[in-house]
Amino acid sequence: MGADRDREGQLPVGQGREACAGTGRRIGVFICHCGSNIAGSVDVRRAAETVRGLRGVACATDYGYMCSDPGQALIRQSIAEQGLDGIVVAACSPSMHEATFRRAAEAAGLNPYRVEIANIREQCSWVHQEDREKATQKAIALIASLVEKVRGDDPLEPLGTPVTRRLLVIGGGIAGMTVALEVADAGYEVILVERGAELGGRLRQIRETYAALTPLAAPLQTLIERVREHPRIRVLLGSEVESASGYVGSFTVTVRPAAGANAPGGYRSEADPAGGTQHEVGAIVVATGYELIPLSRLGEYGGGRVADVVDALEFERLLAQEVPRRPSDGRVPRRVAFVQCAGSRDPEHGVPYCSKVCCLYTAKQALLYRQRVPDGEAVVFVIDVRTGGRRYEEFVQRAMEEGHVLYLRGKVAKVFRQGDQVIVWGVDTLAGRNVEVAADLVVLAAAVVPSAGAAELGRRLRATTDELGFFREAHPKLRPVESLTAGIFLAGAAQAPKDIAETVSQAEAAAAKVLGLFSRPELVQEPTVATVLQELCAGCGLCVSACPYEARSLNARLRVAEVNAALCQGCGACVVACPNKACVVRNWRPEQTLAMVGAVLGEVQ
Amino acid sequence: MHMTRPGQTRALIIGAGIAGLQAALDIANSGYEVVLVDRLPSVGGHMAQLSETFPTLDCSQCILTPRTVEVGHHPRIRLYTYSELTGLQGEAGAFTATIRRRAAYVRWDLCTGCGLCQSKCPSRVPAEFEGLLGERRAIYTLSPQAVPNKPVIDREHCRYFALGRCQVCERLCPVGAIDYEQRDQVVEEPVGAVIVATGYQLLPLARLPEYGGGAVPDVIDGLQFERLLSASGPTAGMVRRPSDGRVPKRVVFIQCAGSRDPERGQPYCSKFCCMYTAKHALLYRHRVHDGQAIVFYIDIRAAGKGYEEFVQRAMDEERVLYLRGKVSKVFRDGDQVMVWGTDTLSGRNVEVAADLVVLAPAALPDSSQRDLARVLGLTIGEDGFMEERDPQLAPVDTPRPGVFVAGAAAGPKDIPETVAQASAAAARVLSLFSRWEREAQVQVQADGRR
Ligand SMILES: Cc1cc2nc3c(=O)[nH]c(=O)nc-3n(C[C@H](O)[C@H](O)[C@H](O)COP(=O)(O)OP(=O)(O)OC[C@H]3O[C@@H](n4cnc5c(N)ncnc54)[C@H](O)[C@@H]3O)c2cc1C
Ligand SMILES: Cc1cc2nc3c(=O)[nH]c(=O)nc-3n(C[C@H](O)[C@H](O)[C@H](O)COP(=O)(O)OP(=O)(O)OC[C@H]3O[C@@H](n4cnc5c(N)ncnc54)[C@H](O)[C@@H]3O)c2cc1C
Ligand code: SF4
Ligand code: SF4
Ligand code: SF4
Ligand code: SF4
Ligand code: SF4
Repeated sequence: MGADRDREGQLPVGQGREACAGTGRRIGVFICHCGSNIAGSVDVRRAAETVRGLRGVACATDYGYMCSDPGQALIRQSIAEQGLDGIVVAACSPSMHEATFRRAAEAAGLNPYRVEIANIREQCSWVHQEDREKATQKAIALIASLVEKVRGDDPLEPLGTPVTRRLLVIGGGIAGMTVALEVADAGYEVILVERGAELGGRLRQIRETYAALTPLAAPLQTLIERVREHPRIRVLLGSEVESASGYVGSFTVTVRPAAGANAPGGYRSEADPAGGTQHEVGAIVVATGYELIPLSRLGEYGGGRVADVVDALEFERLLAQEVPRRPSDGRVPRRVAFVQCAGSRDPEHGVPYCSKVCCLYTAKQALLYRQRVPDGEAVVFVIDVRTGGRRYEEFVQRAMEEGHVLYLRGKVAKVFRQGDQVIVWGVDTLAGRNVEVAADLVVLAAAVVPSAGAAELGRRLRATTDELGFFREAHPKLRPVESLTAGIFLAGAAQAPKDIAETVSQAEAAAAKVLGLFSRPELVQEPTVATVLQELCAGCGLCVSACPYEARSLNARLRVAEVNAALCQGCGACVVACPNKACVVRNWRPEQTLAMVGAVLGEVQ
Repeated sequence: MHMTRPGQTRALIIGAGIAGLQAALDIANSGYEVVLVDRLPSVGGHMAQLSETFPTLDCSQCILTPRTVEVGHHPRIRLYTYSELTGLQGEAGAFTATIRRRAAYVRWDLCTGCGLCQSKCPSRVPAEFEGLLGERRAIYTLSPQAVPNKPVIDREHCRYFALGRCQVCERLCPVGAIDYEQRDQVVEEPVGAVIVATGYQLLPLARLPEYGGGAVPDVIDGLQFERLLSASGPTAGMVRRPSDGRVPKRVVFIQCAGSRDPERGQPYCSKFCCMYTAKHALLYRHRVHDGQAIVFYIDIRAAGKGYEEFVQRAMDEERVLYLRGKVSKVFRDGDQVMVWGTDTLSGRNVEVAADLVVLAPAALPDSSQRDLARVLGLTIGEDGFMEERDPQLAPVDTPRPGVFVAGAAAGPKDIPETVAQASAAAARVLSLFSRWEREAQVQVQADGRR
């Protein structure tokens, strides 16, 4: 077991080189075993032998892990020693290691755009584990098609575009303010757009934060003042982003007064009242936060129907008083029932996800209530107590022991009014009994949902949101603060429910991405974009409307289509739309594509 | 920070798990130099040991290796693996870090990573990286994709060091890289800021005797199970139990082993084990279609984007049985492992005869944390993790200016949170550096005028 099996297939470098002994042609093929990931269902040796006979292939070899240091060394060495002018690496998806292999090739003096990846893992070995023969044939066909592609690949140079070193932050909660300060402290200008009348976001409503019950007002005020007084931050209150165009490094954003601002008796917008102003920025951070699902959607919990059923943010306000008083008659509630997961974890009636912050703030609220009303009783209905991470479990234990907060495990079936009390019916799943609690006040830990208009903002920015309106990150694990659109970053609860600590971390992380972007002298853009063969273009404009990225326009003077290379994603829609074959994507020319298809058909009879 | 001269714009990062790697790349790709130190022979930390990752089940190595490879080749990252920090003098902007590089007994400047030495070394040792379920040799790398891919000799198990004979590796090495005379080296690096990213470790099984830990061979921990699930692991991805190599037909997973237990274990919740247990149960069912997966839990903590949905999927699609309750005893019974517990939902005692038991032990700070804190002049909390300056409002700052913390070193965190924190620490450093750079420019201008 172990070491030996792992290293099976790892050829010493010397042997690999021999297998590549010069045949006078100049494309090299490198087939990766990926341990047993590929070699387990593809006969890599046979694949190498077969493709060695293909037109243009100078050498073909297989190796345990091509991405490992010795694997890359093998590639570099083969390029140098055999004077290869193109390579195909048959391995995992190009989204994993295309950059790795291009870098390795470049280090050996080969143009990186003459490096192609044949994805024989995700698109072959993983999906054909049952049939080794067919998997091997398919791998050979995939490699053959990429060999054809490399034959037609031009050596390209990356394009450089300038960066505007100014940041736009949307949302002035703790997330937005944190990003703005970090980027401004680093020396760059920041424009902060907040649609409300004040900075601070939801934290203005929250008096103390778990786990140490630290008061928030003072640190929040300090933060707001630092933002307002920072020489490089321009705050636009009562403002919204109306539209955005451009691309990473060079966005143009129009800001106009927010819907509620400038109304008679309302608050004043700091945006230009006459229809908005334009700002040139190089990056955008979305920090639009969250809101709670409306009480009216929590009818089964008495939401919207019973005056003494409030949501948790409202209860934060009640707690901010010397003693909390209930809305209906101003009396101090003697028994408060807290209902967790109200609308969360409930795909039928509410939202499917867990809102993450409510278990902890409910413990906090119950404890604070008990401190304000020492003879009061706090009862919490809970499904699971989700207090993951340092200090949090201890905090809930404190609420239970020191605060005598009673936790009942179970689902609440119904909440209704009876006389001047609110009755909560539930099932205590631990005791297996039905329980009935007559409370003076019921607090719903209502589901956290994206702030109003988030999905619409996403459309304006061309940054995708999920079905619910939370902004989507580029990769859930490794790129949590980048949106799917280059140059647009995410911070705080706009991406998913988060508490303050996580929000601040994320906001700082977004700042890191912005600082990284601004530190570059210019941005490097992939050159594999569309071009126009002017002599063939009739100026019909069909491609302009076909392009989903607004990368194309008509040059009125020359009457031909033009491409903005920075916007083009190389999707090929224009190529299909053009009746004159004037649109071509670099290194994806029609002849190349046809040759690739031919190669696949030739291999798979 | 009041300094007479602008600070040194170079960062030191201790620990090269995903936290350290991410922070290093963020800083280096912004144009500054990074000194990255890890105690192990290669980078990647625990993520390199994981099979697939929740909640999207992408393969851990697949998403990790692009980062390790980039770090390995980065012109602005100076990598010190197999090394430790032994001293930090000075203040923010002007630290001097003392780093001890352990002798690898291999000259890495010559070694090409061909692997010949480790394929022929006669001394076989249980591999720590494989959770002791697989083997390595006395001369070894952690995995075939290790960065850097250069071996070290484990002196304790090398026959030459013990008996004065063998030298097989020396004879085979095509480039003469083996050097039995190598000594530890001490180097000093000037840096301006420091990020601590030393991660976590699991509570050793031996400290969980009530769950059969350390005594019953078929009671293993979560990281060992990751290796059994991993295609590059000792069983090539098939779940086989350690005692007899059989494929277990019933696996019991026990959550909170040593967590949330102020009397006998740790008071805190280890945060990521609910999710990885759901993942383990689901992946086990993918591997063993007729197998049964039973999870003992207190609360299911699935708080995160897509997490609740993931656990529901394990329950509904893979029919993983969740029993709410406390396990009172685990012991060996013939070739099975008996699990006694109480189902607190039905109030009944339950007894399960399992083929394999997987514990989710508490996540502890790395064992070096205390010493490191002393070297860095930092404080650690009662729970042993590094203290933040303000856990809510300044979660990656430490009380010492210019020193930051990221990832599991300041409390258990999953990968998304760790990565966000790592970039956050990078931002704090980048912002300092660009301030110092501006100050330097001002000073140059002032000097020029003079
Ligand atoms: C009842 C309750 C209690 C809580 N208690 C705690 C606690 O004790 N400790 C803790 O850590 N966390 C607590 N939280 C969580 C905390 O509120 C969040 O972590 C935090 O507010 C997230 O900050 P944010 O900046 O991402 O979002 P927000 O605070 O929501 O700020 C977003 C800002 O963006 C603005 N905005 C929105 N859309 C637009 C737009 N289109 N254009 C311009 N501006 C826009 C909003 O007006 C707002 O100012 C609690 C949450 C609730 C519901
Ligand atoms: C069984 C299991 C399964 C998991 N599955 C998932 C999952 O599916 N998805 C997910 O998101 N998370 C998962 N996790 C959590 C994941 O492992 C952590 O989030 C992640 O590894 C934390 O990264 P880190 O860099 O902070 O720490 P680590 O990965 O622990 O890295 C720390 C690094 O620092 C080094 N180091 C320590 N001390 C020193 C020192 N004194 N000097 C020098 N170097 C030092 C170590 O050698 C190590 O390389 C899982 C955890 C476990 C236990
Ligand atoms: S954090 Fe707690 S209360 Fe909120 S949805 Fe999740 S489990 Fe329910
Ligand atoms: S390739 Fe796609 S993005 Fe580029 S110009 Fe054509 S249609 Fe637009
Ligand atoms: S000298 Fe030591 S490390 Fe080298 S082969 Fe012999 S036992 Fe292995
Ligand atoms: S045999 Fe020599 S060159 Fe090859 S890995 Fe071992 S030490 Fe390095
Ligand atoms: S994450 Fe889950 S299994 Fe781990 S300690 Fe917390 S509650 Fe227990």
